[in-house]
Amino acid sequence: MVRMMLRFDNEKVHEPVTSQVILEEKIPINIMSAYVNQQGGEILIDVESENAERLAKAFRKKGVTVDVPKLIEKDDLKCTNCGACVSLCPMNALIFNADKSVELNEAVCNGITCGLCVDACPVRAIRLLG
Amino acid sequence: MEGKNLITKNLTRNKRTIEEINNKIERSDIQVLPVSEFKKIVESKGLEVAFNEIDIVTTGTFGAMCSSGALINVGHSDPPIKIQNAWINDVPITHPGAAVDLFIGATLSSETKGFEYGGGHVIEDLVKGKNVNFRATSYGTDCYPRTEIETTLTKDDLNQFILLNFRNGYQKYSCAVNGRDEIIYTYMGKLLPKYRNASYSGAGEISPLNNDPSYEVIGLGTKIFLGGGQGYVLGEGTQHSPSTGYGTLMVKGNAKNMSPEFIRGASFTGYGPSIYIGLGIPVPLLNIEIAKKAAVRDEEIFTEVIDYGVPRLGRPVLRQVSYRELKSGKLMLNGREIKVSSMSSLQKAELICHELASWIKKGNFTLTLPIERLSNQGQPKPMRQIKGAAAFVDSILHEAVTCQENETIEIVAKRLITKNVNHIIVTDSDQKITGIVTSWDITKAIANGVRTLKEIIVRRVYTASPNEPLEVVAKRLAQHNISALPVIDETQKVLGIITSEDIAKLVGGNLNG
Repeated sequence: MVRMMLRFDNEKVHEPVTSQVILEEKIPINIMSAYVNQQGGEILIDVESENAERLAKAFRKKGVTVDVPKLIEKDDLKCTNCGACVSLCPMNALIFNADKSVELNEAVCNGITCGLCVDACPVRAIRLLG
Repeated sequence: MEGKNLITKNLTRNKRTIEEINNKIERSDIQVLPVSEFKKIVESKGLEVAFNEIDIVTTGTFGAMCSSGALINVGHSDPPIKIQNAWINDVPITHPGAAVDLFIGATLSSETKGFEYGGGHVIEDLVKGKNVNFRATSYGTDCYPRTEIETTLTKDDLNQFILLNFRNGYQKYSCAVNGRDEIIYTYMGKLLPKYRNASYSGAGEISPLNNDPSYEVIGLGTKIFLGGGQGYVLGEGTQHSPSTGYGTLMVKGNAKNMSPEFIRGASFTGYGPSIYIGLGIPVPLLNIEIAKKAAVRDEEIFTEVIDYGVPRLGRPVLRQVSYRELKSGKLMLNGREIKVSSMSSLQKAELICHELASWIKKGNFTLTLPIERLSNQGQPKPMRQIKGAAAFVDSILHEAVTCQENETIEIVAKRLITKNVNHIIVTDSDQKITGIVTSWDITKAIANGVRTLKEIIVRRVYTASPNEPLEVVAKRLAQHNISALPVIDETQKVLGIITSEDIAKLVGGNLNG
């Protein structure tokens, strides 16, 4: 699986771009989160690795910005492994290892479309990127 | 001191004395284990074998400990100053004593950085050996003429730098959830709406006081691991509550020898700064009764799940829960499974147990017994309030005018007029709230030719609960720019309504009275 962030400007938001791409390329995607405001919109998706490049090209051709984002960064030197973030994560991207240390699995993190953990970290070890 | 409290009067015959234990430490012949490993031996070989093999177990915890701080003496300037107000890195430092003795309170916030930097961070920076900015002002006296000073300091410049915690090492702590329909930020961390997560604190079966619940070997004078250095228990902590199983400790230690690995400044969003402190306490297994207590497991230690969404002193207890269940990461609440995580570090707590065990093994740390026991009865009182008792929603709550979704706009409009109100709450047949309609919504509907009630019902309704303070609900009205809040119980059933007019009348009444 590859996680991609699709960014639509405020004009593209009004076109059914996502369904067009799905229909034309016949690539199934899993929408993890989405939102729209006056500036445009963002959709965070998961797609099978072998289809990722073709899908990204198809979206870009229609004027959509495609990023393969690193979404959230945890500074393991700062982290005290308290776990204040763990129960907040809706994706189970933050988990306790067997040795009770806290691990961030970036592959399943919803990043800036979620961000619930960021302001919950008492030592500010978690940062949103981009 | 009362004779019955003396440890020597203990009825169980001691197998080992503290002197024998300390002799073994000096001969590097001591059998010491982190308490979690001791519990495993008890489980596999039985209590007797474990007790015969092991002399000492080490316990630990690493949590946010707000009632903490550091006492510093900054030395006298020339000419001298009798400090009245002082700051380190813009964090106000309190001035409890004579000219240059100061107290860095862990929860005080920076005047320039707010909650992001506070007393806890100042203590961490000093422990790290960093230079901090110090300034102070005063009124000037004949003996202390100076009125202003500004300089930089490190911990080496301080005459004393003593970590001093009024309350530390909570035996256990409640598990926090939030029943409100909005996120709340608390000292127990960030709590999602409608009981969607839970947060607890404390290390459970490896936490010091849980392994000595009758306070036999932990008391005034017990030598401890504190913040990576050595410290002592000074007695019971503030709000010590042995009758409810929430014992606390007051501790001190020389912060100059502490380590940033075990002293960390913290910021709780929406609450303020605090400090994480590592605390480790050795438990000498003098007799089998003490060993038995140190074999306690997480499934035997219970705490309460409490709704922090209710902003009252007496918050509702939703259920009892064991530390075993809390540490599993999943908690059953109202028939649903929710995620639960700690906000004190179990990894660091375990690390502290190991660190302290290795100090003892290397002969760097001998043990002391308490010279005075902690009290094992009593619990703290609430504040005595003689005036200005806070008003709560239930004091001004009145009956709400309601309607059902299938009624017509005309009928609802008539009801608003006859009942002389501006808000009508939409409910289902069980009197549970499904929406709200205001006289303004009706006016708009008529102007726009909308025919059915369903189209104008506002579904996102801000509500209040009967035991919320009016101060809190007044803020909610202002924040969302609305003029009324339906009051509902935990099952969403409508109990009544309060309006901004009601609150205004109350305030007006107070002014007149």
